[in-house]
Amino acid sequence: MSAADKKNVPPTDTERRRVLRLLGKGSVVAAFAAQIGAAARAFFPNVLYEPPTKFKLKRPEEYPPGFTFDAAHRLFVVREEDAFHVISAVCTHLGCTVQWRENEFDCPCHGSRFRPNGSVISGPAPRPLSWFDTRLSPDGFLEVDSAVDVAPGFRFVPPKGQA
Amino acid sequence: MGEQLAKLWRKISWSWSPGSERESSEAIVRNLWLHWFPAKITRAAMSWNYSLWLGTAAASLFFILTVTGVMLMFFYVPSTERAYGSIKDLQYAVSFGRVLRNQHRWAAEGMVAVVFLHMARVFFTGAYRGTRAANWLVGVGLLLATLLLSFTGYLLPWDQLAFWAVTVGTNIAREAPVVGGTMRFLLLGGTQIDQQTLLRFYVLHVFFLPAVLWVMFAYHMWRVRKDGGLGAVEAIKADRRMAPKPMPATKSYSLFGLTPGTSVQVMSSTELEAEDQVVSSPNLTRRIVLVFLIVFNATLLASIFFNAPLEEAANPAVTPNPAKAPWYFVWLQELVASTTVHIGPLTISGGFLGGILLPGVLLVLLAVWPWLDRSPLSAEGRWFPSSRKTQNRVFVVAMIAIVLLIVVGVFLRGPNWRIYWPGMPRPQAPTVL
Ligand code: HEM
Ligand code: FES
Repeated sequence: MSAADKKNVPPTDTERRRVLRLLGKGSVVAAFAAQIGAAARAFFPNVLYEPPTKFKLKRPEEYPPGFTFDAAHRLFVVREEDAFHVISAVCTHLGCTVQWRENEFDCPCHGSRFRPNGSVISGPAPRPLSWFDTRLSPDGFLEVDSAVDVAPGFRFVPPKGQA
Repeated sequence: MGEQLAKLWRKISWSWSPGSERESSEAIVRNLWLHWFPAKITRAAMSWNYSLWLGTAAASLFFILTVTGVMLMFFYVPSTERAYGSIKDLQYAVSFGRVLRNQHRWAAEGMVAVVFLHMARVFFTGAYRGTRAANWLVGVGLLLATLLLSFTGYLLPWDQLAFWAVTVGTNIAREAPVVGGTMRFLLLGGTQIDQQTLLRFYVLHVFFLPAVLWVMFAYHMWRVRKDGGLGAVEAIKADRRMAPKPMPATKSYSLFGLTPGTSVQVMSSTELEAEDQVVSSPNLTRRIVLVFLIVFNATLLASIFFNAPLEEAANPAVTPNPAKAPWYFVWLQELVASTTVHIGPLTISGGFLGGILLPGVLLVLLAVWPWLDRSPLSAEGRWFPSSRKTQNRVFVVAMIAIVLLIVVGVFLRGPNWRIYWPGMPRPQAPTVL
């Protein structure tokens, strides 16, 4: 059939053709959109090769009284007599590591200062430093879950003979 | 054989000193590298004083960055274990590796400065009104891409500076409402700055952002031509309209005098006289090469005499004190450090106010400025016209504020982000615990 002939064929089944055309175009668009969605989804990792939030520290008896910085986990282990608590060393402003100075924590990035209990003295930090849930692992190590915050004032006292 | 080679050479090259106008315009039209230029260019647009050639300087820097960057890719390994070592190798083990790295670094910092100055030039000459508003918007995109390139490049050496600048930067992203957390997760490829982050920043830095920038640059240049050349042309046309026409001296002149309106010439040049223009080859081509050589030699000299900084290897446990962002972001750091507000029990972090909201408002203002600006169109293409006093004041105040914040951040901030005036002793902050 030549192009001229085609032009002269009266349009029958117009409605059916329109729907089919729409379906055809629609499926191409949908397939394309799904492909883009799939590509975007790939950029959200399902598996993270990051250290677990729950980890063991040293044995309670190995900690001297006062504030001990744990560089690997970015936290402070605080020992008062036989009671322990763990404070995060991550500044609540924008995530720099705070340092322990005589009687306060100082953040080097934008100068936030925190009291020994983690509350803010001054600077841009909007929240106090986090306190982490602390317990004893079955084999006698301090165990911390950095995903679980506890209220300031929390104390963990290991059973007698463990500290 | 020699004949064939000569023919081939003529195809890919052109004459730097054409014998006639015809030869000149043929060079432009036929040559792949020159076809995006107009055959003729207005003298006013060629003037050093009008554009200061800052856009061309920015493009030169970007070209230098592309070439040195690809060379660096032969040495750099985007792995957390080897990135720092490969930069050290460039500094100490690769012949001229240090100069290569320095040149990439200084050209990058120079590009941020030059792009900013170019934007200031466009603003002060009011060359973003009417048909040029679209190109201003493209320019804002170019500015953003330039800053993002700097930020992603900053992480790659995997030293202390890199690690902490990106820690702070991505935590600012987290402060964005609703999408903040997701954005940071996507950017880092996880919840911590780690191998995935380095790889993502690397790909963004060496491929994605440069590609986006090159495409936007091409469009930027195409728009300059479609808009009828630089804003300075507008000023010349306005002057021509005001001045009485001199008596036609030549045949072609009388033709112009007799036929008002559109001529066979390009639309935009109808109100221009022949003496207002020069041929692009060799005037424009030579000028571009000259600007490129000046810029190239400036970065090379800087690279021979000054070394790009490299701190100790990244260490998540110890934040250097003070931890400073690169100078062009220090003003943002000043903002995030000083804008945390307490309203009763409610605390709004400076990360949101100073890191997201304020820069966001500034950016939106910059983008829509051409449509807010109500200065007369006749002010276009001239430096500091009196009818644009208000606009220029607003811009100068904003610029001074940013420069002041940068000066404070770079020179006055010491350990614990306290202000130390010149001469005041700075306590030695311990870097290890
Ligand atoms: C990668 C960054 C950029 C490059 C390579 C670049 C390049 C150029 C070049 C070569 C010109 C020709 C005139 C000149 O040399 O001054 C130009 C003009 C122009 N640029 Fe840019 N530019 C960049 C960023 C920007 C920015 C950040 C803005 C503004 C937000 C902007 C807005 C404009 C406008 C409106 C013009 C036309 C000016 C006139 O008509 O006088 N550009 N650009
Ligand atoms: S990150 Fe600690 S004050 Fe900003």
